Amino acid sequence: MQQAEILDFLTRFFKTSGCTLLPTETGGQLKVKLSEEMDQLLMNRPFYWHYIRQTGGIPETATLLFRTDEKSDDGELIYFGSPRLHQIFEVAKKLAPFVRIYQEPLIHSSPALEPWLCLNMKISDQCDLKRDRIYSVGLQLINGTLVEGFHEILSKLTLSPKAPDYCYTLSPLITVRSGIRRVEKLIESELRCEPSDWSDSAGKRWERDQELLDSFYELETEKPEAYFQEKEALKAQYQPRTVIRLINAGLFYLQSRSFLPDISKGR
Amino acid sequence: MQPILLFDRSWQEDFIKRIENDGPWGKLEMFELAYQADSERIVPSFHGLIAPGMLPKLKLHPHQIETAKTVIEDMHGKAILADEVGLGKTIEAGLIIKEYMIRGLAKKVLILVPASLVLQWVSELNTKFSIPAVPQRKSYVWSQCDVVVSSIDTAKREPHRSLVLQQNYDFVIIDEAHKLKNHQTKNYQFVQLLKKKFCLLLTATPIQNRLSEIFYLVSLLKPGYLGDEESFAKTYKSGIRSVRNEEKLKQLVNQLMVRNRRDDTGLDWPKRIVTSLDMSFSKEEQTFYDTLSELRKSGLIQGFSLLTLQREACSSREAAFVTLRKIYRDKAEPSTAVLWNTIFEKLNGVQSNSKAEKTLDLIRKINDKVIVFTEYRATQLYLQWFFKQHGITSVPFSGGFRRGKKDWMRTLFQNQAQVLIATEAGGEGINLQFASHLINYDLPWNPMRIEQRIGRIHRLGQKKDVHIYNLAIRGTVESHILNLLYNKIHLFEQVIGELDEILEKIDLKDVDRQVQQIFEESESDGELRIKLDNLSSVINSENRHFLEDVHHAASGNT
Repeated sequence: MQQAEILDFLTRFFKTSGCTLLPTETGGQLKVKLSEEMDQLLMNRPFYWHYIRQTGGIPETATLLFRTDEKSDDGELIYFGSPRLHQIFEVAKKLAPFVRIYQEPLIHSSPALEPWLCLNMKISDQCDLKRDRIYSVGLQLINGTLVEGFHEILSKLTLSPKAPDYCYTLSPLITVRSGIRRVEKLIESELRCEPSDWSDSAGKRWERDQELLDSFYELETEKPEAYFQEKEALKAQYQPRTVIRLINAGLFYLQSRSFLPDISKGR
Repeated sequence: MQPILLFDRSWQEDFIKRIENDGPWGKLEMFELAYQADSERIVPSFHGLIAPGMLPKLKLHPHQIETAKTVIEDMHGKAILADEVGLGKTIEAGLIIKEYMIRGLAKKVLILVPASLVLQWVSELNTKFSIPAVPQRKSYVWSQCDVVVSSIDTAKREPHRSLVLQQNYDFVIIDEAHKLKNHQTKNYQFVQLLKKKFCLLLTATPIQNRLSEIFYLVSLLKPGYLGDEESFAKTYKSGIRSVRNEEKLKQLVNQLMVRNRRDDTGLDWPKRIVTSLDMSFSKEEQTFYDTLSELRKSGLIQGFSLLTLQREACSSREAAFVTLRKIYRDKAEPSTAVLWNTIFEKLNGVQSNSKAEKTLDLIRKINDKVIVFTEYRATQLYLQWFFKQHGITSVPFSGGFRRGKKDWMRTLFQNQAQVLIATEAGGEGINLQFASHLINYDLPWNPMRIEQRIGRIHRLGQKKDVHIYNLAIRGTVESHILNLLYNKIHLFEQVIGELDEILEKIDLKDVDRQVQQIFEESESDGELRIKLDNLSSVINSENRHFLEDVHHAASGNT
């Protein structure tokens, strides 16, 4: 993440979270007066907030000054690995795990909006090494159409948290619960088709170390505690697994004609 | 082998409940930011390091990055880090921890270090790596905190022990791991019982003595890797110290040990400039020194004790007094009263300390931060008083200090005092690279200890050339030893790795004991000199072989 992208991210984050951006003297800086909610989430001062609540006092929220320029020393240096940025990443995830969103109708379009389930996931392949990828998928809850790369498509649409006037939403035929199952099945079948060289070699490493361990305790008829413990540790170290976690999920009501024909891959 | 698929479904009920209750819903913009945040943070490849890019403030050396990569990718997170002193083992360990944490492969981390280094580790991990490490202070820390630094002595004692053994650690790091070489110790057995997925053993001297030590160290990491005890002995042992199938053993060990040497790092190391200064005793000091031999002649003490006394007398009369008083208390009888009187009279006759005065001159001339090493606590105290008398500020430093005091003394030295006076035990594990002058006020007989002293300042981060001054009194035991170490085997120019290897090869790990024996057994000065010469030529010839080998290997590579 480049410094300019970081500043852009922070600007959007603080605007969205109701904080007040203040003017700065030079570029590469960001000054922000926190909202009460953000102060409580970011500043780690529960005693202060407890005190304010108990006494009914007027809180003074913190003002933060960030800089992306390493050489200057005015303000808190923020860079991709900085703990503050990661704290903010976590807060963003915490604040928007689930959304319900409507598409703004285009002129002359149908007033009917179709329900879509959007799941943004992180898929991690893990043994003693690890890699991740992002997987975003949309499932139309009437006819079961599945669209991959859904989040990118959403970003091209005009969306709103409120149902637009003169539109109505179609009722889903597929429940969200079974929609989630369908997506899981899809992920599972796709993963099963992927090359498994990484897990094969992890399996071999595991096997080899397990053989060494067995030989180490070969002569002991009653294996000591240490043997079983080490065996578990080898499993934790090498056992290949693919973990699928949710980033966030949403229910989207979208126009059917304007959206589907040119983008979906239809299944 | 098919990977297991694990779906995290913990969010599903919450999501469905929100649909039923029609909210609460997050904002669309925040939804997108959260998605972007995770997209930025994914690690798309199994290979390579992410951590260096996250640590722009940390200046990493190529060998450190390479080491972290090797440990993670080739050694699968179980390794012995055995860099030479001063190449930044802590940094390498920090980098590996950070990489595993970023990738989400390690969360629960335990770092066991000598008590005196706990705070230093905590501070380095926090400031250099933004790793929220905490020192173990209360017992709840074991379960509540993710990254804990503790001394092994605390961790292995109840009530901590059972708490620690309950934890499932992703990563265990043990500093100064050569202390775990004996499998019968409580420490070893404790470490063996820790639940750990990844493990790093840090040591500067991996193979100190016996072959079995390397076996037990490796067996902590990977039981069975070198076979079981019996098959190991059968395959490799042919005596306590000698090795069979050495090549094979080396090859095996190298697959889980990283050992960077100064020469391999490609870094421009500051030079070592060594100066030897010898000086004469004053007349009174000389008389006192000579009188000590009377104790042996009269049969009151053995050769070894005389040697100790003589070395002490070369340091300060205060140091000699401590030992003399002990002998006097144990052995004084009416028949020896005259002798004792003479000795204490001569001791009282010593009114000045020639070496201390020389040191004072030297410090004034250097006019910069100086570290003075002495073997004796009494000398340390004396020097502090003596410097004070002459307007030189100094702070003491000893291994016995509590960790807080050590940090405090280091800070005082860095910011306020000109001189730090350290006793031997204070040598390990502190970094003083802001100073570049070191005075060996008296010399230890174990060459490795000298290297450890120098390693305090001749390490990564040292920007100036390092000056080492060796002091010795002419015509005493000290001058013999200086002559041997300095002029004959050129110890001070050696780097530790080579010396390590040379001493190992000629089975002379206990050079100090050998030297001591020579002193004790020699009847005359001439005999002494011949024996020391023999010793030095043995070491030197090994040294030459070694250098030839190195040269050979180097030219063979091109």
